[in-house]
Amino acid sequence: MIAALQARWLTVIAAALAVAQIAVLGSMIWARASILRSGTEIVLEVRPIDPRDLLRGDYVIVGYNISSLDKALFGGEKREDYSGPHTVFVRLKADAAGIWQPVLARLDAPAAEPPRAGEVDLRGYSGYWPPDNGAVPMDYGIERFYLPEGQGRPIEEGIGVRPFRMKVAVAADGTPQIKSFHDGDTLIYAEPLY
Amino acid sequence: MAGYVSNLKKDIARWEADGLIDASTAAKLRKDADSRPGGVSFGLILSMLAAVLIGASILLLVAANWEYIPRLVRVGLIFALIAGGYVGGAILKGRGNTSFAEAAYILGAVAFGAGIALIAQMYHLSGEETQAIFLWCGGTALAALALRSGPLTAGAVLLATIWMNMVTFDTDWFGAPPMLFLGVVAVIWAISLWSQSAVARHLILLALMYFAVLHYVDTELVTVPLILAVASVALFGAWVLAPDLVDRIIKLGDHGAPIQGLLGFIAGMSPIQYMFQNDRLFLLIVVVIFAAVIAALVLGGRESRMLRWLGYAAFTYEVIYVYVVLVVSMIGTAGFFLSAGLVVAGLAWAITRIERRLKAPPAEATGGAT
Repeated sequence: MIAALQARWLTVIAAALAVAQIAVLGSMIWARASILRSGTEIVLEVRPIDPRDLLRGDYVIVGYNISSLDKALFGGEKREDYSGPHTVFVRLKADAAGIWQPVLARLDAPAAEPPRAGEVDLRGYSGYWPPDNGAVPMDYGIERFYLPEGQGRPIEEGIGVRPFRMKVAVAADGTPQIKSFHDGDTLIYAEPLY
Repeated sequence: MAGYVSNLKKDIARWEADGLIDASTAAKLRKDADSRPGGVSFGLILSMLAAVLIGASILLLVAANWEYIPRLVRVGLIFALIAGGYVGGAILKGRGNTSFAEAAYILGAVAFGAGIALIAQMYHLSGEETQAIFLWCGGTALAALALRSGPLTAGAVLLATIWMNMVTFDTDWFGAPPMLFLGVVAVIWAISLWSQSAVARHLILLALMYFAVLHYVDTELVTVPLILAVASVALFGAWVLAPDLVDRIIKLGDHGAPIQGLLGFIAGMSPIQYMFQNDRLFLLIVVVIFAAVIAALVLGGRESRMLRWLGYAAFTYEVIYVYVVLVVSMIGTAGFFLSAGLVVAGLAWAITRIERRLKAPPAEATGGAT
C-alpha cells in the first residue's frame, strides 16, 4: 500500500521534473525566436579568420568587420587588468553600402548617451587587451554557422574571395542572433523562427 | 554487493535452521539486508552503458540528419525523450526494476543535454559551451534530487568537473579554476547523502584533488597542495582513531576514507616535492612521504586490499621519482635500466613477502582472507 503510494508519487515527481526541464529548453527557444521576430536588423560583412581551416565538423567559423575594434573607439577607456573576459558594448551604424560599422565602444556597460535613430548597441566580449595600438579582438557569440553536412567547403573557399554578408537581429539588451547568410546579394540560408 | 547480500541471506537461513537466531530476528536481518543501498552491480553497469549508447545514437541522429528531419520534430523528439526517460524510469522503479529505471533516468538526462546542444545548433550560438555544460549539470543534479538517483548524482559530479575544467582552460590563457566549483560540489555532496551514492562522494573527492592541483598550477602557492595533504592526513588519522564514526559521517563505504586520505596525500605532496626538487628540504619531504605511506600500510593495509595496493603503488611511484631525480643524472642510460630493473625487482620481492606474511597468520586465526 505504502509502496504503491510512493511509486505513484515518484511518477508525479518525475513528470514535474520533465516539465521543468522541457520548460527551460522551451524558454531558451522562445528567447531566441523573439530576438529573430522583433530584434533590430543589422548587416555585417563576413571576413575570413585565422586559422585557415574554418570548417569544424558541421559548422564554419566566421569573423566579421567588427571582430577587431580600434582602440580609439573606446574613447580613452583602458583596461590594465587581464583577469578574464569583459563585456563590451559596441555602437553600430550603417554605412553607405548598408554594412554596419562601429561608431564607439564601451567596457562593461553601454555608453551613457543613448543610441540615436539608425544606431544600435551590440553586446560582445573581449578577453584580451592588446599592448600599444593593437586592435581589440572581439567575440559576439555569432561566430559559428551550422550547415548541413558537406555544404561548408564551398562557403569556406568563397569567404575572402567574394563578399559574404550576415544579417543579424539584435535584442534590446544587445544580444545578437544570426538571421540569414548571404553570398553577395544571394540568400544562402535564412533561419526560421523555430 | 549483490553477491554479499545473497550470501548473507543464505547464512541467515542456515542460522535460523540451526536455531542460532529466532524467526523474528531472521526477518529483521533479512529486511536490513534488503534495505542496504545496492552497490554497483554488473547488471546496473550494463543497463547504464546501454542507456549511454542509445542516448549517443539519438544525439548523432539529431545532429547529422537535420535537413531530413524538420526542426520542430527534432525538438519534439528530445522533449519526448526527456519525459519518457524520467516518467518511464519512475514507473519502472515503482515496479522494482531498479537497473532499467536508472538507465531510463540517464536517458532523460542525456536528452536534456542533447536539447541544449540542439538549440545551440538551431540558433548558431557560439562561445557558450561552459554555460551549456553548467546548465546540463544543474538539470542533472535536480533530477538526481527529485528521483533520488545515485547514478544521476555521479553524473552531476562528472559534469561539474568537466565544467570546472572548461572554465580553467577555455579562456585565451590558463585561468584560475572557478571557486564556485566548491559550492557546486557541496550541493551535490548533500544530494548524494539523500540519493545514497558513495560513488558520487568518491568522485567528488577525486575532483577536489584535481581542483587543488589546478589551483596550484595557477597560483604556484605551496599552501594549496599543503592544505590538500594536511586535510588528507587528518581524514586518515580520524579514521584510524574512530573508523565507525568517520564512516558514519562521510559514508564512503568500506575503507573509503583511508583510501581517499592516502590518495589525497600523494596528490598534495607530489607538487610539493616537485617544487623543492633542487632544495635541501627535498630529502626531508621524501622521508615524510615514505614514512606516511608505510604508516598507512601498517595502520590500514591489513584489512583492506585496495588500500594495500594503493600503498604499494604510492611507494613504487615515490621510489621511481626519487630515483629519477637523484640517480639518473649520475649514471648512463644502460646503467639506468640495469639499476632500475634491480630496484623494481627488490620492490616486487618486498611486496610479495608482505602479502604472504599478511595472508598466512590470519588464515589460521579467522579462516578468511581479506
